[in-house]
Amino acid sequence: MPTSVPPAPGAQPGPTYSTPSYQTPAFTPVQVRQSFGQPYSASQPAYPSHNFGPHPPHVPQPQTNYPRNVITATAPAPEPTKKKIDWPESVRSYVQRSFLPANLDESVTRQEMEAKLKETISHANDSGVMYTINWETMPLPQQMIQEERSRVRAVAKPVSALTLSKKSPAVPQLASLSLSSKKRKSWDVAEAEAAAAAAPPPWRSNAASRLEDRVTFSPADKRLTSDETTAKILSKSQKQMEKRQKRFDGGYKSTYRSPSPPPSNGPVVGTCQTLEKRYLRLTSAPVASLVRPEPILRQTLELLKRKWKKEQNYSYICDQFKSMRQDLTVQRIRNEFTVEVYEIHARIALEKGDLGEYNQCQTQLKALYQMGIKGKPIEFKAYRILYFIHTANRTALNDALADLTPAEKEEKAIKHALNVRSALALGNYHRFFQLYNDTPNMGAYLMDMFVGRERLAALCNICRAYKPDVPLRFVTEELYFESDADAAQFILDYNGQELLEDRDGKILFLAGKAGVLFEDARATAFSRIDIKGQI
Amino acid sequence: MDTIFKQFAEAQVKCLGYDLSHTLSPDLSHENLRAVFKSCNAHDVKTVIKRGIQNSGVGGSLPKEEVQGWVEVYHAYWKAVGELLAIQESSTANGKSSNSSWSSIYESWKELLSALIRGYLTYGFEAWTIPCLYVAGRHLRVFAIRADTERSNNMSVESTAEANFEDDFNPESEKNQMLEDCARQLNRVFNLCLSDRAPIEHSRKWGIYYVINLLFKTYFKLNSASLSKNILKALSAGRGDMPALISFPKSQQVTFKYYEGVLCFLEENYVEAEKHLTTAWDMCHKDALKNKELILTYLVPCHLLTTHTLPSHKLLEPYPRLQKLFLPLSRHIKKGELHAFDLALQGGEDEFVKRRIYLTLERGRDIALRNLLRKVFIAGGFEEPKAEGGKQVRKSRIPITEFAAAISLGSQETLDNDEVECLLANMIYKNLMKGYIARERGMVVLSKSGAFPGTGI
Repeated sequence: MPTSVPPAPGAQPGPTYSTPSYQTPAFTPVQVRQSFGQPYSASQPAYPSHNFGPHPPHVPQPQTNYPRNVITATAPAPEPTKKKIDWPESVRSYVQRSFLPANLDESVTRQEMEAKLKETISHANDSGVMYTINWETMPLPQQMIQEERSRVRAVAKPVSALTLSKKSPAVPQLASLSLSSKKRKSWDVAEAEAAAAAAPPPWRSNAASRLEDRVTFSPADKRLTSDETTAKILSKSQKQMEKRQKRFDGGYKSTYRSPSPPPSNGPVVGTCQTLEKRYLRLTSAPVASLVRPEPILRQTLELLKRKWKKEQNYSYICDQFKSMRQDLTVQRIRNEFTVEVYEIHARIALEKGDLGEYNQCQTQLKALYQMGIKGKPIEFKAYRILYFIHTANRTALNDALADLTPAEKEEKAIKHALNVRSALALGNYHRFFQLYNDTPNMGAYLMDMFVGRERLAALCNICRAYKPDVPLRFVTEELYFESDADAAQFILDYNGQELLEDRDGKILFLAGKAGVLFEDARATAFSRIDIKGQI
Repeated sequence: MDTIFKQFAEAQVKCLGYDLSHTLSPDLSHENLRAVFKSCNAHDVKTVIKRGIQNSGVGGSLPKEEVQGWVEVYHAYWKAVGELLAIQESSTANGKSSNSSWSSIYESWKELLSALIRGYLTYGFEAWTIPCLYVAGRHLRVFAIRADTERSNNMSVESTAEANFEDDFNPESEKNQMLEDCARQLNRVFNLCLSDRAPIEHSRKWGIYYVINLLFKTYFKLNSASLSKNILKALSAGRGDMPALISFPKSQQVTFKYYEGVLCFLEENYVEAEKHLTTAWDMCHKDALKNKELILTYLVPCHLLTTHTLPSHKLLEPYPRLQKLFLPLSRHIKKGELHAFDLALQGGEDEFVKRRIYLTLERGRDIALRNLLRKVFIAGGFEEPKAEGGKQVRKSRIPITEFAAAISLGSQETLDNDEVECLLANMIYKNLMKGYIARERGMVVLSKSGAFPGTGI
């Protein structure tokens, strides 16, 4: 028997996709937030490196005895490790091993190694595994970096190869650059540059009142702007301060939480070149390097459309769309592309019955259409009406009606939705189910949500009005069940077994005997409409 | 300024809150505003005000802190007056651009309200002075609306929206930025009044309904009437210590009851709505036509649904607008003209939707249909009398087709029998008609006694 249990009216969509973690990741996870350097990211500018002899890594420093170099003199003051930490011998030798000439990797600059070491060790320290980790088998920083690079390449290459090779100093060039550029001012500048490029602290990207930040860079133009240079020193001490603070927090939380971000008064302009991005709710002002500009987002949308078609992994798609919407919002991009993103997300959410997300998209779409941006307003205004029928939100329904122009009322989809509304308002279930049979676009997904409760309501009507009985066939047709079996199952689901009778091979529904059997179920069905994200 | 201090002293001596509140009014003529503003300058304004209050004849008897509080209030008032003057002058000298705008007026007026709130919280202002809060709150709302209009007319002005970390933008709050802020300020005042624990005769609780009404008004304007629920909840939580509504000024009672009724109306709780609205109607001043019209706008649809009664011509006589709204519909309902009803509803749709009564009036169609079916029933005539002189009994078995014919009479559209049955089933289910459908025989069997309850047959 085909499934005949109607979707519980107003039931919450299953929680499977509400968790941000993917059970089966359909993509290689890209670290978005927590790493320190990401010096290999596509937007990373080339920076000069030095080929001097080993010098103390800029890490929480074990007081090792390997040769020191003069360059330390230029190191900016506050070393986070000035406080006394008794570094275990194993860590010291791990650091030493990293800098053994035999282990050095030409394509990995010293700064990257130092950053990596710093990250590794401080992470170990923060999470309290400093003494338990087997440092002997720990991969060397250069190995870790290489591994991460190939991972990033794997993700970024196929889709944005063009962007990478043409528009930014790409990964392979890095090595040669680091070899050739003998001239550099000080290593800390280079490191600060790396840090600045990878993760400008919020207070800097925030100061969007400056002209540069308002200009939309063409993707070809992703170099360091002059103010980024001036901010290098600052950014460095800022980072260290944060690190110190973090240590006192005792946890490994958001790395980029600036102590007090000044209020921003303009949108950021993103510089991130990665197509995919996990969604994270913003807790502080957005960081330009983690925000994708519109050209990248356009590529992202194409990628997501393909992936959705191929993999149908809703939790992944929803997460990605949310991060897209976030990027659009923080950059105040409101154009036809924005509309397209919201429309596609809304349709996907509809298909999957994720009404919370759907409703968020719909609210935005309404505003975007009102701003005169083109899209598919007819389709979505019709959904909007159906949605408010489902949520029984009369105030919103009234607003939706007020929002329609006379011309729109004549459009097929909207006219259909309006007819559904009036049919239900007048209790005309006969017409309602005819309309259900003939729903344009994806409206049927919405109608599926409330067709169950309307069947109950209609059944209550029939039970009160007809005596002594009606053919089951009549119920099937009036309430638009797929088959008599479905209709019977529906009745059985509500304990109506007594009401079905076989008489001379014809099944009868004893409407007159039903009494108030379906009334409770009906009342429950209509009272239970509670949707996450509903306005 | 001197006049202000004179009024201030008089009001303080006699404890006349409303008189006191007049000294904070921004509704002054241009000359008076200018006189106030020019009487001192930015450097000496505080000294002038302080001296003014102390020399006003009441200064000596006021506690020192309270004087300090009033100095701050009048200082804020003086600044706001300056802003008001600036915008008046810039609008007369047209073409000349000016920095002043309604949003800066709003901001300066907000300062005034804050100074007042501080006055109550830290400087010990007494409860009889609450009309000052009314003046401040009332005008804050007006200025907020003007500031929002000004901004939307002037799109080139960069939005000063604070950084928020939402994933989507909020179109409503961008449009009504100031008014939303205003709602927050009024909420502060609400809590200021609600949380006062002083004995009732010295309590700020006496300000509560005025503020609530202002808040309701603001929420409705913001299209978020549902927020009013929170206010009602907070109110009923503290109702035990609250003076009864009946002891507040009538004007406040009427407004409050009106909003309470409309809120119920929007939630389809027509019985409650009718109760509140009727209270408001009975208490409303007989000459307050505008208010009475507003009350009737919701009370009439309420009546239609709860008691199936229609407004009389006499009731609507003073309100031409309401006549236009309700009379055509009433006529068609009465006569059971289904199709004409549909047309009238459609014709007035925009107006009905605007007043949020469309969905309610639409249900009047049931009554129209009931009246039509009743006519069919009456037209059916009587059974053959079984015995001479026996009581006449109406024909209670009526073929579906007769009803079907009646329904399609106006529209000339033929409905199939199943749909007609569906409509009849609804009538029966809603208890507008008593009887049952015998589908096999294509008949409706109506009750012999009271087939159409409440209509005399």
